[in-house]
Order: sequence, then C-alpha cells, then structure tokens
Amino acid sequence: MKGPTLTAARAGLVSCEACHLLSRPAGAGEPGFCGRCGEKLENRRRGSIATTWALLISAAICYIPANMLPVLDTTTPQGTEGDTILGGVAFLYTSGSWPLAILVLIASVMIPLGKLISLAYLLISVQRGSVKGGRERTRLYRLVVIIGRWSMLDVFVDTFTVALVQLQPLMSVAPGQGVLFFAAVVVLTMLAAESFDPRLIWDSVDPGEPVHG
Amino acid sequence: MAEQQDINDLPQASVARPKGLRISVVWIIPILAAVVAIGIAIQRVSSEGPTISIVFKAAAGIEAGKTFIKYKDVTIGQVATVELTNDYSQVLVTAKMAKHAAGLIVEDAKFWVVQPTVTLSGVTGLGTLLSGQYIGFQAGKSTVRGRNYTALDVPPVITDQPGRRFKLTAQTLGSLGAGAPIYYRSVPVGEVAAYSLAADGKSIEATVFIDAPYDKYVTSETRFWNASGIDVSVGANGVNIRTESIVSVLVGGIGFDVPDFAPPGESAAVDAVFSLYQSRAEAMTLPITVERRFVLYFSESLRGLSVGAPVTLFGLPVGRVAEVGLGYDAMTHDLRPRVLVTFNPERLASRVSEKDRPSATKALVEASEAARVPILRHLVEDRGLRARLQTGSLLTGELYVAFEYVPKAPKAKVDWKRDPLELPVDSGGLASIEAKLDNILTKIDNMPLESIGVGIKNAIVSLNQTLKQTDALLGRIDAEWVPEGTKTMQSLHQAIADADRSLLNQDAPAAQDLHNTLQELTGAARAVRVFVDYLQRHPEMLIRGKKEDHP
Repeated sequence: MKGPTLTAARAGLVSCEACHLLSRPAGAGEPGFCGRCGEKLENRRRGSIATTWALLISAAICYIPANMLPVLDTTTPQGTEGDTILGGVAFLYTSGSWPLAILVLIASVMIPLGKLISLAYLLISVQRGSVKGGRERTRLYRLVVIIGRWSMLDVFVDTFTVALVQLQPLMSVAPGQGVLFFAAVVVLTMLAAESFDPRLIWDSVDPGEPVHG
Repeated sequence: MAEQQDINDLPQASVARPKGLRISVVWIIPILAAVVAIGIAIQRVSSEGPTISIVFKAAAGIEAGKTFIKYKDVTIGQVATVELTNDYSQVLVTAKMAKHAAGLIVEDAKFWVVQPTVTLSGVTGLGTLLSGQYIGFQAGKSTVRGRNYTALDVPPVITDQPGRRFKLTAQTLGSLGAGAPIYYRSVPVGEVAAYSLAADGKSIEATVFIDAPYDKYVTSETRFWNASGIDVSVGANGVNIRTESIVSVLVGGIGFDVPDFAPPGESAAVDAVFSLYQSRAEAMTLPITVERRFVLYFSESLRGLSVGAPVTLFGLPVGRVAEVGLGYDAMTHDLRPRVLVTFNPERLASRVSEKDRPSATKALVEASEAARVPILRHLVEDRGLRARLQTGSLLTGELYVAFEYVPKAPKAKVDWKRDPLELPVDSGGLASIEAKLDNILTKIDNMPLESIGVGIKNAIVSLNQTLKQTDALLGRIDAEWVPEGTKTMQSLHQAIADADRSLLNQDAPAAQDLHNTLQELTGAARAVRVFVDYLQRHPEMLIRGKKEDHP
C-alpha cells in the first residue's frame, strides 16, 4: 500500500474504544459520545503521555522501598527477622534450590523492573517520534498489559503466608512494609500501561495529519 | 500534499493559553510516592541505634543476624557481624543496638553469652534451647556512652532483682557452689551468687543473694550455716535426721536463722558480712564471749585426751580442752601431765533455771576475777569440786574432763592468785578403778597359794576317811534298822485298811447316817423346786396366800 494508511483519525472519524463503532465526531475539538454505547469518544487519550509518565515515575519510586524493606516479618522465639525479596532469592539460592531462586528473581524483581523500563522506552520512543519497530513496540505494550495482571501474585502469596503461618508462640509471620510498596508498584505500572495509548506508536510511524492528543 | 493546502486551512492561533500545557493533576501521584518513600527512609535512618563491638573469647553459638542482645528478655540489639580479631585470638562481634536502648549502652554495661545450664539445683536459660543462644546484657551506672566492650565469661551477679546481697566468710567452701540454694526454715529464698578466695588465701568469701521479701529476715543477729548434706544425730530419742532439702543433700546449701537466745536484731545492710558456720548446731549455740582458763595437773595417763575434747560440769558441756601437754617444775625437776581447759561461764549460766538466771549470769559471767574467787573457793573447798578424766567412748578410749563433786576428796591446796588458776584433780573415774583393780590383783598375787594347796590336800584326805566311816555306818543301819521299819509299815497298812472299812462300808453306821442325810437333803431340794415353780406361776401368792386347790 502506498502513501499513508487511511486511519479513522485521518479520515476525520473517531472510533469508539468500547464498542469500536466508527462514527463522525460531534465537533472539531469535542468528538462527543458514542451513538451506540454512550462511551466518551476520544481521538487519542487525553494527556496519555503525561499521565503515563507520572504513574511510571511513581512506580519507579515505590520500586526502591519494595525491594529494600522486608516483605515478611517472621517472629520466632529467637526474635523477629525481616525478609526482603532479594533476601529470599539469596536464601533460596544458597539453600540449593536455584531454579526457585531464578523463578522468584524473574517474577518478583525482573518483571516489575522490565515493565518499568518497557513503558519508559515506549513513552520516550513516542515522544521522540520514532518511526521504527512499530509492530515490536506494540507487541511489547501488549506483553506489559498481559503480565500486569499476574504481577499481584507476590502479594497474594505473601497474604496467604501471613494468614496460614500463625504458629504462636513458635512462629508467626506478619506482612512487612515492603509488600505495600510492591503492591503499589504493580498497581501503578498497570495503571500506567492502561493510560498509555498504543495508537500513539503508529501516529509517528504513519505520519499524516496531526491528531488531537 | 501539505503544500497544496489552502492557507485558510492553517490552524488559527488562540489567545488563551492552551489547556494541554497545564501541569496535570496526575503528577501528584509520583510526588506522593516520593514523599512516602523519603519519609520511610528518614524513619529507618533515625531509628538506627548505636553500633557497638564486643570481644568474646569464642563465638559460642553467636551468628550474624541471628543472635540477639536481650535485656530483661527484651531484644535490644542484634549481632551484625562476627569476625576474628586482628590477632586471631578472639572473636569480634559487632552489634546494632535498638534506638530505644541507646541510653543503656554506657561504659560499664556488661555482656555475656546466655547458655542453657542444667544443674541439680535447677535449670537456667532453658529458653535458649528453643531460641538459640543470646547475649545477655546488664546496664551500668555510668552515664558515659560506650562503644567497645569485652564480654564476661560468667554471668554477673544479679543486681536488678529485688533483694539484697550479703557476704559470708568461711574456712572452706565445702560442697557449696555458685547457684547453691539458701534456705530460711527450709524455704528456698536465695542462692549463692559467687564465691572467691580471700586476698590472703586463708578463707572463702561467698556472695549470697536473698530475694525480696525474704531478705528482711536477715538481721544483724542472723547466723548462716552450711546446710549441705544430711545431719544425722543419734540420741536417747532415737535417730534424728535433718536436712534442708533433698537438693541441698546433692548440691549443698546454706541455711540461716536467728538463734532463739539472740534478740531479733536490726535488718542487715546490703553487703553485710556474716560468718558461715559449719553446722546448724554450731550456728545456734551461744557465742563464746567470756572464756576462763584453768590448769589441771593430772597424775594419770593422758592417752585418749585430745585438744577440743569436751569439759563438762555435772555432765553438762561447759568448755573445751585447749592444751594437752606437760608441766615442768624447774625447782623440783618434776614432770606432770598438764591440761589447759577453757571454761565458758555463759553456757553454764544458760543452763540455770530461768528464775535464777539473771543473778547467775551476774555472778558467773559479769563478775570480776576477784568476785568470782569466793564462789570457786566455796565449790572447791566446801563441796569438793574436782576435775576427773572420764572415758567418753569405750570403743575409742576418748577421754574428756569432767568436773564433779567428790565429797570425800582430801583437802586441796589452791593458790587463788595464779593465772591461769590451777584447780585440784581427783584420780577417781577410770584411773581409780584401774588402781583398785590393780590392788586386787596384787593381793591375789600375794596369796600363799602353795601352802593353801597343801592344806586343801590334807583336808581332802581326812574328808576321804570321814566318808569311809559314814559308809560303814550306813551299812549297819541297813542291816539293823530296815527289818524293823518293814514291820512298822505293815502294821500301818493294817490300820489304814481298818479305817477304810469302817468309814466306807455301806453297813457301817457312819456310812448309813451319811446316806440318810443325803436322802433328806434331796427331798428338801425337791420341795423347794415345787414351791418356786408355783411361785412363778402365781406370784400374787406372796400377797394373797395360796389359793385353795380346785378339783
């Protein structure tokens, strides 16, 4: 196909994000509401990049205490001991179960970090008007969204452990402060991924009529 | 395509500032996150207590990150690193202390490793079996902050427990050890905290700790005694076994009490020094404050008399033998067995009946030397008070000195001005028995046994002759007297037979009479029975008389 692809925006039309009905916008600046499902119509999500950046930076800030603070406080007659995520990884590795250690390292440390870096890369590439690798970047975006919902597993396991391991007075387990920050990281990256508008990737790949962001 | 567009299609610049450039509300989120994260970081840093280093001889069970420092069972720190000192001779432990305990970390604070200790007297540190070892801590009194410490080898004496410490001095430690229980009327009230040799090495100084509220029973008059083992005494009442507790039998113990004779006394001060008696009996006896010394010159052997042997007065113990030796008179070159005895008039006074005790105490204990001489003089010269050696035990031949009245004793000359006073002795007792026995044996020895033997022989010969004559006499009697005797017996027999016949024959008048009498008696008995029968059936007869018989 030669020349810029015909998109809804380029054709002066707007697609409903909920029911995907293509309709003519109500006005030039205000696309109005979907005639079929009533969803607010938008050419591109408003302030998508700024919101995503804000949420991403928040997530990055929370990522530091999430890894520094203990996620689990274990109380034994010996005393109370706090376990961080990386401490747990190190324990699993030194105690011989390196496959588990790698699993935890990937699931709990590298994936959140990967999401942060991926989103940052997507934002930067969109802001710089990068024209290459639109498909790859879209695939990356999809991956971030899909993984996002599974990232809460850590928090889930932590909650379960706390509820089950209450062997007073021998042993009891309480959630540490770190788990709050970890949950915040997960929620914030999910929100950031949600607020990012993947259509922006293609706006620079197929330069055409500037769209209202 | 853009070039072809009409100029009218260009966007119109707006007067108002476009909305999009306004800072979005969403940026509050990262600011909030940053504030929270920084806040937690500040809190973490500020809650960090001081880091200290402790030098241990060995890292017995101390692990980095796992061993805690506890004070009154509250965790106040955690071991951060365990490493060897630079010269590899000791273990350097660094520990992070909690912020709230920072005020406790002063120069003279003490650290030691708490280990489970199982002794017969109890189990301590049992919690460490579950939790592993921990480092014990004791706060100091200084206000200067400390950083470097050397751990103690043994836990220090408890000072923050309510109660009081006292010091005991003893000749030997016996079977006591740190942790040995202390009993007050068999109730365990404390323990031996520590012990050490005195500086001169001649005695033991033990520190004991009595828990509150029992510490108030320790007064200035309290006596402590070694309650180790079993105290078995055999008396006229049988065997008496006394022990504070079965634990004290095994690990030793200390008992204390106020003796009956002593006033209650005032509450003892902390670290007051007491002496530790070897036994309860010793502790409970009157203290000897007044002691009189007398010299006794015996004439018999002193074998079996040892220093410390009892001195009795009428059988009551009143003193001890202080010296056993010889006396030498330079003038006459005379050697005599000499015994020095000590005499405790207080013990004597304590035996006097309650009513007379004050006056007895006054006369015997408190009176001056000059005032006591007349009493002694009266006892020795008028009553005949004499010292004797008596055997305490027939098995061992132990001797003791007994003072007794010897009424028939010869008058003794006493120099009342000498010091120590020489008291007269009496060779009574065992020595006199020996002398008497000796006397008897000598007499037996001196008997003319040979001439007695000859005399006895002569006597036997003449006795033999006499016996022969007697035999001849008996033969004559047999021949002449026996036939006569036989006749006499025959006539006697006849007489008895006659008597028998006349009395027991039915036809004999006497027997006939007897028979009749018996028959009469039988009739009378029958009549009485009939009467009684009737009376039983008709008791009214006694009042109304016998009714006429109805046909």
